[in-house]
Amino acid sequence: MIRTFLSYALLTVGSIIVAFPLLMALSYSLMSESQIATFPPPILPTRPTLNNYADVLDTIPIGRYLLNSFVVSTAVVIGQLFTASLAAYAFSFLVFRGRQVLFFLFLSTLMIPWEATIIPNYMTIRTIGWLDTYQGLAVPFMATAFGTFLLRQAFLQIPRELWDAARIDGASSLRFFISTVIPLSRPILGTVAIYGFLSTYNQYFWPLLVTNQTFMRTTQVGIAQLRFEETLRFGLVMAGVVMVAVPTLALLVLGQRQLVRGLTAGAVKG
Amino acid sequence: MRRLATLALALTMVAAACGGTSPTGTAPTGGTDMSALAPAKDVAPAASITWWHAMSGVNGEAINKIVAGFNSSQSKIKVETVFQGNYDDLLAKLNTAIASNAAPALVQVYDIGQAYMRDSGQVVPMQAFIDRDKFATSDFEPAVINYYKYQDKLQSMPFNSSSSMLYYNKDAFKEVGLDPNKPPVTFTEVADAAKKLTKKDASGQTTRYGFGPSVYGWLFEQLMATSGALYADNGNGRDNRATKVVWNSAAGKAILDWWKAGVDGGYFFNPGIDNDGAANAFNAQKTAMYIESTARLRGHINTVAGKFEIGTGLYPRPDNKPKEGGNIIGGASLYIMKSRPPAEQQAAWEFVKYAMTPAVQGQWQADTGYYPIAKAAYDTGPSKEWATKYPQFLTAVTQIRESAQNRMTSGAVLGVMPQARQRTQKMIESVLLGQATSQAALDAAVTEMNAAIDKYNKANP
Repeated sequence: MIRTFLSYALLTVGSIIVAFPLLMALSYSLMSESQIATFPPPILPTRPTLNNYADVLDTIPIGRYLLNSFVVSTAVVIGQLFTASLAAYAFSFLVFRGRQVLFFLFLSTLMIPWEATIIPNYMTIRTIGWLDTYQGLAVPFMATAFGTFLLRQAFLQIPRELWDAARIDGASSLRFFISTVIPLSRPILGTVAIYGFLSTYNQYFWPLLVTNQTFMRTTQVGIAQLRFEETLRFGLVMAGVVMVAVPTLALLVLGQRQLVRGLTAGAVKG
Repeated sequence: MRRLATLALALTMVAAACGGTSPTGTAPTGGTDMSALAPAKDVAPAASITWWHAMSGVNGEAINKIVAGFNSSQSKIKVETVFQGNYDDLLAKLNTAIASNAAPALVQVYDIGQAYMRDSGQVVPMQAFIDRDKFATSDFEPAVINYYKYQDKLQSMPFNSSSSMLYYNKDAFKEVGLDPNKPPVTFTEVADAAKKLTKKDASGQTTRYGFGPSVYGWLFEQLMATSGALYADNGNGRDNRATKVVWNSAAGKAILDWWKAGVDGGYFFNPGIDNDGAANAFNAQKTAMYIESTARLRGHINTVAGKFEIGTGLYPRPDNKPKEGGNIIGGASLYIMKSRPPAEQQAAWEFVKYAMTPAVQGQWQADTGYYPIAKAAYDTGPSKEWATKYPQFLTAVTQIRESAQNRMTSGAVLGVMPQARQRTQKMIESVLLGQATSQAALDAAVTEMNAAIDKYNKANP
């Protein structure tokens, strides 16, 4: 009993610490500017106000930005899952000449800083006329070396015997991939998906670079628009942050259930 | 400002990539007429041009207001605005765009991007249009336009300009028996007032500091200017390209020693490299005085309304109040890009002329709190209304009007100005934290920056 109580107390404290920045953002978003500017810094709003939220809606078309971010992030996730799982499958189950070399070559692209490829990527996108389009925002990120690596390591955990059995039963390579490898790897696919989604959702510089029209911009560019050059309105920025963070949090909560289910499914079957 | 280091790196890379196309060495000197660089006068302006800017929020709305006014004032040219993130992001995006020939006709670039823009060779100097059209700039605020001159030629058109001043809490002044209408001006006066304004509670904890400037490189540049000292050689890089920085002078040392003594004595608050933190400390009455941009005035007054009264004073300066000292302006200016066809350059110039008219400038001041560039703007209705609402702004105007106009008060132009600003911040911080003596920190920073300047100048011959 005491033990349960203690561990719950510990977990509560831990979760408060982890959630603190988020809770502060929420609290600040409900405060007026003059309340924020008091010392010592207040924790809770004395007279909660929704003015900051109204101002965000007045300042930027946040609904459109959220839609754009969702479309782009979802497209990237689908693209990444498709390319990375097929590549990882080749690198883990198919035996071909130069596989190892190719794989290390593949991995070495992780070492190229993204900054070094911005200008060439931009020029490519511009040449094919993809500025201000969803494909311009999404396509450059549809292949991922990191995701491929992650999936390959997971695929290697799948017992070789399954592969042998499938082959004996006459399953083709693709059939084995679809019917066995993918269902067994749901948790790791979920990880790659969430990682891909969040990193695309949080992108700032690339969307800024390839879009010029307001209606094609994404949420992070929108948040930047709430920061004025000479004065910073904390409440306004925090209201924007909360509005942008809520959908991703919801997704994470939903995704987590999926993740856990995937984990147990694998455990029982494997 | 945090991203400056990465940006600087990117800039150097791009600068190296574009090297060799720079026309800097051939820039005309003295009284040469530059009109040849502009398109011929009879070129018909393009039907539409794009303008990249970095203004968001109320300032962004003020920009859209100007553009809407221009578009409806005539039927030939349509200007479209695009917000491209903050100043750093905009410049980074501009660099990428230049590399693939996608730059717009008109861009707003911040003060410290000046030398970089010139060295890039991508700009038609504003002076070319001014010379061609015999456009009168005599009514323009000298302190403002001098900042954007190289070899006495205007490179870009100042657009949003501010300078720095002293902000103080009048109520706190009254409370400790200081005259609330006589703010301190010299280093000693500021220190003395700060000592009086500092308050401790029973346990010895400081509840209010007298003075709390952010460790901000721009403030150091301003202090050098009010000290009447050069920041870089070759007339602060305005007679010729600067080859070294010279802030490790007696003036530089005096500034650091004053700052350090205040922090050590416990009457200066040190918020660190944090401009918003310093502003908030002042709003929250944790500090009774601080120095910042004149453009923050409206934000401060609105935030502290009903809590205390804000006063403004001249920017601090050495005790002997050097006659050659004064304030540098900051902000951003408009550049017409060379890579666009002459018709677009022409259209951009038409818009710039419109934006400089007193009526537009007066409205711009009222909407944003930046200085109007045309002096006649102060006689317009919106500007007068604004002055009644924010009488504290008068200090800002007096201050730049009374500044001596020379190389020291025009401020430094360096290709590596963003890095220099960052380096001075590191330098100030190391002194305040007691990691180095003031002279050692100054010398170390200067040596490091000179190497960076050398590298930049070699990459952009």
